[in-house]
Amino acid sequence: MIPENPEDLHVLAGEYVLGVLDEPDATEVAEALTTNIELRRAVTFWEEQLNPLSELASPAPPPPGTWEAIEARITKPASKPTSPPFWERVALWRWSTAGFAAAAAALALWIATTPAPGPRFVAILHAPQQDQASWVATAGRSGLVVRAVATATPPSDRVFELWAIAPDAARPRSLGVIPPDGELRLGTVPPDLRNGATLAISVEPVGGSPTQQPTGPVVFVGLVTAV
Amino acid sequence: MDSQPTALSSIDVLIEAVGRGSQDALKRLYEIESRRLFGIALRIVHRPEIAADVLQEAFVQIWQNAAAFSAERGAGAAWLTGIVRFRALDAVRKLGRETLTDDPALGDAVLDPDVIEKIDAVAEAGALKRCLGLLDDEQRRCIVLAFVHGLSHSEIAERIKAPLGSVKSWIRRGLLSLRRCLQP
Repeated sequence: MIPENPEDLHVLAGEYVLGVLDEPDATEVAEALTTNIELRRAVTFWEEQLNPLSELASPAPPPPGTWEAIEARITKPASKPTSPPFWERVALWRWSTAGFAAAAAALALWIATTPAPGPRFVAILHAPQQDQASWVATAGRSGLVVRAVATATPPSDRVFELWAIAPDAARPRSLGVIPPDGELRLGTVPPDLRNGATLAISVEPVGGSPTQQPTGPVVFVGLVTAV
Repeated sequence: MDSQPTALSSIDVLIEAVGRGSQDALKRLYEIESRRLFGIALRIVHRPEIAADVLQEAFVQIWQNAAAFSAERGAGAAWLTGIVRFRALDAVRKLGRETLTDDPALGDAVLDPDVIEKIDAVAEAGALKRCLGLLDDEQRRCIVLAFVHGLSHSEIAERIKAPLGSVKSWIRRGLLSLRRCLQP
């Protein structure tokens, strides 16, 4: 529970910045940060105010090769990251006309062949700036299913990882690595998945992103819509 | 790039350039900040090879998140410190504190009641130093141990041989006093 009382909120934010919270509480704060502006401000307040203390740790040169290792990980000749982050650019890609027609056809077929009552969400994922639907995601009472509708295989020694970005979230959250057969099923619908959210698939090392954020290029994106 | 008079603002400018996808800006940021940030990581994880991994993860995260960095996030240097500290704390959680060789020097700086004198030497610490000076020794010590060494409540309790409940309450009361003192 994130407290509403400003004093308690500030103490919790301070404990979070100090790093003394146990893991469940720290995770709760980290998640709430994406939506709770007051909490975010309180965390920023403590990060800034306490930052001078970090100078009590004496500076030291990192081992040789550290920069080269970083450089190797950020250099992606095919898709150099640009500003803004990909999930904010999705809006520019999503309704390209031909793509929408093809995607709508794929979606209609999917809905017609998938009986499941209750509130549902769908998303059609395609490669950035391309028209063809590559994946269809449906979410409902029985959980979430993401399935390849066109041939899509990751490079060798790499896997596809699925991410959800809630409409107001600052960063993506992993929904898991997509198995080699091109179908991912989750028993429950993640809370991030709601109308206006974005689903994205990135290329990651085997086992998934080591950083809890996408490290490789984002190769498919789609907008989640309630149906 | 804008010419900015102070080191701090040039870090902000570099982070903005990184957010626009400039690898050169990230490299420059590394040249300027890596010694400071590596020192912070080393204090928390103790082992240089782990601290180097932490620094690597942190810079990859900086690369990915710089576009989201904004005025709301405040000063760039504090943002960088936060990223490195959280990656270092993750490493400690993953590897377990016991597998990380204890640094015999741990605590010398902060168990020392004169920590306030050492903070004295730190530039830009004016308000923080004054406000830390208002805290009880225990409160100040716990807060510094947590921030600089990345110790949890129970690790602090063990380190300073105090009951866990007291440590929690010192930190809580220390934070409340600090906030009252630091807020304009």
